[in-house]
Amino acid sequence: MVIRWSRWSPQLALIPALAITLVAFVGAILWTIFLSFTRSRRFPEYLIDWSDWSRQYDRLLKDDGWQIALQNLVVLGLGSFLAIVFGFILAALIDREKRGEGLFRTIFLYPLAVSLIVTGVAWRWMFNPSFGLQNFFHSIGLTFINFNWLASSDTAMYGIILASVWQGSGFYMALMLAGLKSINSEIWSAARLDGVSVWRLYFEIIIPMMKFTFLTCAILLSLGVVKAYDIVVAMTNGGPGQSTWVPAYFTINAYWAKSNLGYASAAAVIMLLITAAIFLPLVLLTAWRERAREARA
Amino acid sequence: MTTFDRTIGATTNADIVVDRAPLFPRVKKGISGRSIAILVFLAICAAFFCVPLYIIVTTSFKTMDQIRQGDIFSLPMPLTFDAWWNAWDNACSGIKCDGLKVGFWNSMAILFPSLILSLGLSSVTGYALALWNVKWANTFLFVLFMCAFVPFQIIMIPLIILTGRGVPIDLFGFQFFAGLNVYGTIWGIAVVHAILSMPILTLIFRNYYKGIPTEIMSAALMDSGSFWKIFVEIILPMSANILIVVLILQITSIWNDFLLGLTFGGLGTQPMSVVLANVVITTTGEAAYNENMAAALLTAIPPLFIYFVLGKFFVEGITAGAIKG
Repeated sequence: MVIRWSRWSPQLALIPALAITLVAFVGAILWTIFLSFTRSRRFPEYLIDWSDWSRQYDRLLKDDGWQIALQNLVVLGLGSFLAIVFGFILAALIDREKRGEGLFRTIFLYPLAVSLIVTGVAWRWMFNPSFGLQNFFHSIGLTFINFNWLASSDTAMYGIILASVWQGSGFYMALMLAGLKSINSEIWSAARLDGVSVWRLYFEIIIPMMKFTFLTCAILLSLGVVKAYDIVVAMTNGGPGQSTWVPAYFTINAYWAKSNLGYASAAAVIMLLITAAIFLPLVLLTAWRERAREARA
Repeated sequence: MTTFDRTIGATTNADIVVDRAPLFPRVKKGISGRSIAILVFLAICAAFFCVPLYIIVTTSFKTMDQIRQGDIFSLPMPLTFDAWWNAWDNACSGIKCDGLKVGFWNSMAILFPSLILSLGLSSVTGYALALWNVKWANTFLFVLFMCAFVPFQIIMIPLIILTGRGVPIDLFGFQFFAGLNVYGTIWGIAVVHAILSMPILTLIFRNYYKGIPTEIMSAALMDSGSFWKIFVEIILPMSANILIVVLILQITSIWNDFLLGLTFGGLGTQPMSVVLANVVITTTGEAAYNENMAAALLTAIPPLFIYFVLGKFFVEGITAGAIKG
């Protein structure tokens, strides 16, 4: 009896998780994909007009807001990439100079504990043209500095990038630091004995050795960029105009502000496709890593 | 084992060797010029990270008169706690002026049920997948791995429908709605948090339990232990480490969440971050900047407290949950 129960209990214990996966994830994704082909507006409709199945996607392609959102996604992705570079520089310096390692790590990582909404609120205040940093620079005579980024549609995106780099760099520093520490310490000694210059050591030895860490960071960063929503809401709420819209913002806006279920679904499907395009390299990367490990063994 | 398993394993254990003594401790010498240059550079970077915190803290203690003078770096003169009290008690979001206290208690009320739901669900699932013979375990793990990456927007609309009244079902003339009917309540937000964190937490638990030696499991089975008995008496006492890491990861991510609270919260059940955003964004007339900054700090204090007290676990959790993004 006991043996039979112990055979069945694990399967029974998995039922809730299985049900959630099938309904809330797999089912819900298929559901949204289905809705994206319908003409649903405020309420879901389940009739597909096959002669016009791609109407939501056609509209999306012609929508200026969506074009801006896609462009901003690329800009945000490239800009946030600075967080990885910055994170690596910080990690390399901390790793070289062991003094104060704990202190610096604590300082560089604390923004990660702060939510993106709070980050956005704080930076929004510093970008304030009358009382913020711009005013401070002007008052000490540096009147050429323009720090009123959020007010102009050309620079608002850079403001968001600056705030997200501030919030996220510490995380990449932690990953890079872990990567640096796993490098065999004999390499450092050997390089010193050979008189290899610091630049060559990093660019020709250390960075190539850490390519997996860099790739992991890049993929994690891209997945985070696709999901970026909170920081945009807190800093600009999409403005000025539509200039800081991103796909995540567009989708939520299509659902809540435009009350257009089918349209929001179509945008969400494109978001899923973008995520899949980033996700695929991760799977390939792990396969590659696996092969590299086996080759070494 | 397939490859995805290694990725997670790598981000959880192998890569995170943060505190390791150097193999060749360097001989203490006088400080070199290069060291000074590095330290100065790091100090400047540290200033970049600290300036926002300094500005928020000082602004929150200033009077509006002093803020209008425009020196953002000045120390509060006179120092006042009014903004903190106002932010907590009577800051306005929209037409209601109840301050952040409502949001604070909502966040607390969301936190506990969703912690219990998500930790309970994912630890048992991870345990069953790691230590018991389930034929379809690998397929299921792969699906979970994919689910952990899915953007929220792709499942948002079905989740709104399902947590609401649900879908009308007509079963042989017997009509009813299949839905949880919790949309807009504290429970709704808590349940959605538990659902969305299930894949990644299950993977974290599963990787941890996979490291338990098989001898322990066979001994426990010999001892005629049942599935639940082994879990409660042997596995749970061994899980203290992973439980605290996951607990901290969940507390900070639920507390810092904005999108789920916004989507599933109703009037009066919104979590603190949503109330904060409403207070700051929907101001009419001149914004009370000191109040806004105090509100932001009030929202940030719980996770910051956890970070400064339990930093090591926090970093471990955030890297393990990295793919949650």
